[in-house]
Amino acid sequence: MAIYEKSAAELSAMLDKKEISSAELTKEIFSRINAVEDKVCAYVTLDEENALAQAAEIDRRRAAGEKLSPIAGLPIGIKDNISTKGLRTTCSSRMLENYVPPFDASVMTKLRGAGAVITGKLNMDEFAMGSSTETSYFKKTRNPFDTERIPGGSSGGSAAAVAACEAVMALGSDTGGSIRQPASYCGTVGLKPTYGAVSRYGLVAFASSLDQIGPIARTVEDAAMLLSVICGHDKMDATSAYREYPDFAAQLNGNVSGLKIGIPDEYFGEGIDDEVRDAVMNAAAELEKNGAVLKRISLPSTDYALSSYYIISSAEASSNLARFDGVKYGYRAEEYDGLVDMYEKTRSQGFGAEVKRRIMLGTFVLSSGFFDAYYKKAKLLQRRISAEFTEAFKDVDVIAAPTVPSTAFKIGENMDDPLKMYATDICTVTVNIAGLPAISVPCARKSSQLPIGLQLIGGRFAEQTLLNTAYAYEKIIGGYCLPEL
Amino acid sequence: MDIDIRHIAKLARLEIADSELAQFEQQMKNIVGMVENMPDISDELKPDPNTPMRLREDKAQANKFTREELMKNAPSVKAGCLVVPKTVE
Repeated sequence: MAIYEKSAAELSAMLDKKEISSAELTKEIFSRINAVEDKVCAYVTLDEENALAQAAEIDRRRAAGEKLSPIAGLPIGIKDNISTKGLRTTCSSRMLENYVPPFDASVMTKLRGAGAVITGKLNMDEFAMGSSTETSYFKKTRNPFDTERIPGGSSGGSAAAVAACEAVMALGSDTGGSIRQPASYCGTVGLKPTYGAVSRYGLVAFASSLDQIGPIARTVEDAAMLLSVICGHDKMDATSAYREYPDFAAQLNGNVSGLKIGIPDEYFGEGIDDEVRDAVMNAAAELEKNGAVLKRISLPSTDYALSSYYIISSAEASSNLARFDGVKYGYRAEEYDGLVDMYEKTRSQGFGAEVKRRIMLGTFVLSSGFFDAYYKKAKLLQRRISAEFTEAFKDVDVIAAPTVPSTAFKIGENMDDPLKMYATDICTVTVNIAGLPAISVPCARKSSQLPIGLQLIGGRFAEQTLLNTAYAYEKIIGGYCLPEL
Repeated sequence: MDIDIRHIAKLARLEIADSELAQFEQQMKNIVGMVENMPDISDELKPDPNTPMRLREDKAQANKFTREELMKNAPSVKAGCLVVPKTVE
């Protein structure tokens, strides 16, 4: 097995035993990037020089006998909507093409404090609005398992880089499925934490009440390791939860005996491809064989989740993206006639079509005369969806569902039809609407099949249960496999 | 439902080119059509008990950024100030 294929946990142990240095590992990852990046196109910005300097520093500290974090010296990629001090942060938008943050996001402060080596910034849908990474202003990222297909989105660069071993792990962000969906399409593990578990300070806001940063990795243990580093209360984020978190990786035991798994009817009906339904049901059956108890449940308002999600997220986006006016930072149109014209030209040239659609939808649902019919109703439905989950978790520990209704589609296939694109989020948006944690873990598959994800949803702050269930399943079926590139 | 794209775009400070208008109009109609499936609910909207917020103390603190750092990303700066088009006649 090549060094770059190894999991974060394996590499962490090798670094600890001084079988490899972080400098050697970082060089290995960059040579992998050089070998496959032309085919995958995962990165917007590479930062090799600083990465090697960070690696050398960690090697020096390790040689001096310092006690280091398990992720110290591991090359990690960052989605390009997470602010990195001194390193360009574009949100894959023309609007922020040359924006260099003067500060680090809180998750970056934590990663750097733990000694992570930052490889660079990963491609995404523009401002995280999309499900295929095709709305990026810069490039189209490709699915490492079939480069004619999309990697999913919006954290498509993060999932593709991890799947192609161009980073040991990565951070993504998830507003309606943007970590889990690309993780599913790219055969990797992606976890969306409970709302409030990970600080959003420095994450460029899309829909503030739904956004969460989370890990993408090749194994469940690696995702657990990275989650432990990034979660925790942060006074810079008013929605950050006051809680202590366990060492998630240390608590993994793969024991699912007596675990009650809910199978919601609404997630297996019309619109879900047969091969996805079969793969997810087989996964549930495997867990049952290992002692879990399956129970059919119902989440009746699921049908309305997509509407509620697109109204709430677009309303918040229209407000959050009002800051891009060409005055304090970002793109400014070259020619204009007066202030308002400058705003309009700057925003029209700086934003792509999908971002404009969402801003206009958000503006529409918040506009005079329509607020009650759309936004207020969406918020009320959000409560109902959330209450149905709370009720369900009285009977079950975990809910199992597909992450996405089908496998990765061809590049360009859904670009002209926003509704078809939005429909790919049907199984993931409910989790954000209810503020819950969820993980996507690869299902067993035939070698001719594209990756399929099993989504496990938990109650608020039940990350450990999710990780342990996913870990149990991964142990049974083997998990991640290397794509041929 | 008819949606006045020009009006919405104006509110959002966006310009929609004539050539793009029909397509945006159709797509917005489709999207609004999709979200109209929501049932009527008569519940009252109250703050979410799951996400209580504790606000920090309202105390002035020294800013960790310098003026120069913050202005580095501005499209146009003159004499330490952001430059914008004339707004008052």
